[in-house]
Amino acid sequence: MPEKRSPEKEQNPPQISDQALLEAQEAWSLAWQYMLKTGEQMVKSNNFLGRIKDKDVEIAETPADVVFEIDKVRLFRYRPLAEVRKDIPPMIICYGLFGRQTMIDLQEDRSLVRNLLMAGIDLYVVDWGNPTRADQYLNFDDYVERYLGSCVEYLYEANDKKPVNLFGICEGGTFAAMLAAFRPELFAGLALAITPIDFHGDQENFWRGEGFLNSWVGNLSKDDVDLLIDTHGMLPGEMTGAVFSALTPIASMTKYNIGLARMEGNEAMMLNFLRMEKWIADRPDHPGEAARQWLNDLYRENLLVKGQFMLCGEKLDLSNITCPVLNIFAEQDHIIPVSCSKAMGNLLSDDQYEEIGFPGGHVGVFVSRKAQGVVAGGVVSWLEKRLDPLPDKKQKNEAGVKKKKSKKQIQG
Amino acid sequence: MTEKDTVEANMDQMFEVWEKGQQAFFKAQTEAMETFAKSFEGIKVEEGYPNWDSFIKSWVPDWDPNIFANKTGEFAGGFEATHNAFLAMLEPANWTQYAPEQLRVILQSIADGPKFADMATPQHEAAATWRESLDYSKAATDMGKVMQEAWIRTLGRFNEKYTVDDLKSANPEGAMNEWLKAANHELLETQRSHQFMDAQKRMIRASTEIKARQKETAEAWSAMYQMPTRTEVDDLTKTVHELRRELRTLKREVASLRGGN
Repeated sequence: MPEKRSPEKEQNPPQISDQALLEAQEAWSLAWQYMLKTGEQMVKSNNFLGRIKDKDVEIAETPADVVFEIDKVRLFRYRPLAEVRKDIPPMIICYGLFGRQTMIDLQEDRSLVRNLLMAGIDLYVVDWGNPTRADQYLNFDDYVERYLGSCVEYLYEANDKKPVNLFGICEGGTFAAMLAAFRPELFAGLALAITPIDFHGDQENFWRGEGFLNSWVGNLSKDDVDLLIDTHGMLPGEMTGAVFSALTPIASMTKYNIGLARMEGNEAMMLNFLRMEKWIADRPDHPGEAARQWLNDLYRENLLVKGQFMLCGEKLDLSNITCPVLNIFAEQDHIIPVSCSKAMGNLLSDDQYEEIGFPGGHVGVFVSRKAQGVVAGGVVSWLEKRLDPLPDKKQKNEAGVKKKKSKKQIQG
Repeated sequence: MTEKDTVEANMDQMFEVWEKGQQAFFKAQTEAMETFAKSFEGIKVEEGYPNWDSFIKSWVPDWDPNIFANKTGEFAGGFEATHNAFLAMLEPANWTQYAPEQLRVILQSIADGPKFADMATPQHEAAATWRESLDYSKAATDMGKVMQEAWIRTLGRFNEKYTVDDLKSANPEGAMNEWLKAANHELLETQRSHQFMDAQKRMIRASTEIKARQKETAEAWSAMYQMPTRTEVDDLTKTVHELRRELRTLKREVASLRGGN
């Protein structure tokens, strides 16, 4: 119940000292100055936005040619930027379906693609195309075995039927690991980046903000997921985009106001920001059946690490991977917790597995300035180290080599 | 037996039938009254008016049932107010917000009711649609409450961390950063809470149910105008998808056989 105002109080309001009034005035004055300064900064950024057109914001500019197609999926081969090294098997980069592969070539000075090309790697990338509702029944059998498998088979044939390297990123890393376990004979090496393998991870030790996605999906029932997929046919890109934005709530809320103002119209900063915005805006819908498996079988049931995930009618066992594996994870990854990625090491032998812990976030692995040397450099040196082929894994296992106890970790 | 004896015997039989009929009637009446009385068990007569008053107010909270007592002599005004109140009860927008749970139960019972083969039952779909929109409104309100509490906690946290003395340090940007830090902390904590997770789950479920209902409506429209429905297109897509998969398997088997030869 609201307190009744006493007539005495109204007649004799509390006295404010001159000193307090002065301080209040100063505080207001400071606040106004700050607002004016922020307004001035915003005007500069707005002026820049007024001058620039969408076509001026270019991403994924490294030239590439289509060399293979299956349905909507295309395999591009990048044109070399340096002499191609014949001693390193060609490499296919495979991104996931939640975003575009353009992330790996966002701009010239922040491009995993360019860095690998400059190191002489013969580089290919899978473009999943633009899935529509007509693709809603595509599942992991299609994406892993049929599409990615066909791309790798193409390159295997083009490489004189010699094994090739596959570099899977995020969901694409999960696809890549699955294919490497399903068709191990095709691979000389498997690199993974920010890839979930154990979809539950070490939940008790998540830091604040880590593992939200895991908890969020885990909180949904199978029926919730099924209703969502059955109704939409696809997992809408807008919905996944909203979930990703919620992972960094204040950054998402302030990027178009405080964030823009703080750039003060700085061209380089604004262009970096706009390139990232362009990539985020281009978020495709995820084919429904594959999304159902991703959410129910992997995120909710965690079937992959249990060895119970079914691919083309067979239970998939990741320890069937025979090639060397490099696993890159981001130590401040708010989308894929570190423990979810590092779980890969538990399934492979010591001499087969290496990892790089990058001190940054999920997307920072590719777009931060710091990451350019760490990630591409780490991949190239790993490829070079592997020029001497591993002894046959099967023989080693028979010789009693213990599965991982400690991993060599290259600090980023 | 004489004729007199026969008449008396018939009369006795008739009285017996009448007597038994009376007994059966009274017994039935007694049972009916007992059942009727049982149905009112627990309801006290003296609480009748307050119960009724509470019931009416739960649907039309602005109505004053004492209007006649307060406006002695102003019957016209009293009747008009009462009339308007009862009309208000017929206008869902006026009371759905006050009695959503009761309404939800009613709507669900209509939606779940039996359907007749040869009679259209649009009330089932209407009730289900209405129930779904109520669920969405409630889920959105609950979600709003969770977020409102998070922002209130943010304000509290900020007030603890940043005082007027800090403001005197002539660093408003510091204040802004402290606010953003407090907000980020509270929002991340909120997102991890079961309260948030459950509210968001209900939001997703409710909005998806509405989307599914929209799909049904669109399909009815498509069917009416001889256009393929979403379900028909989806069925066709699935058929093509499965055929392509079979074709790929067959191609592989043929290639394998050829290779074997």
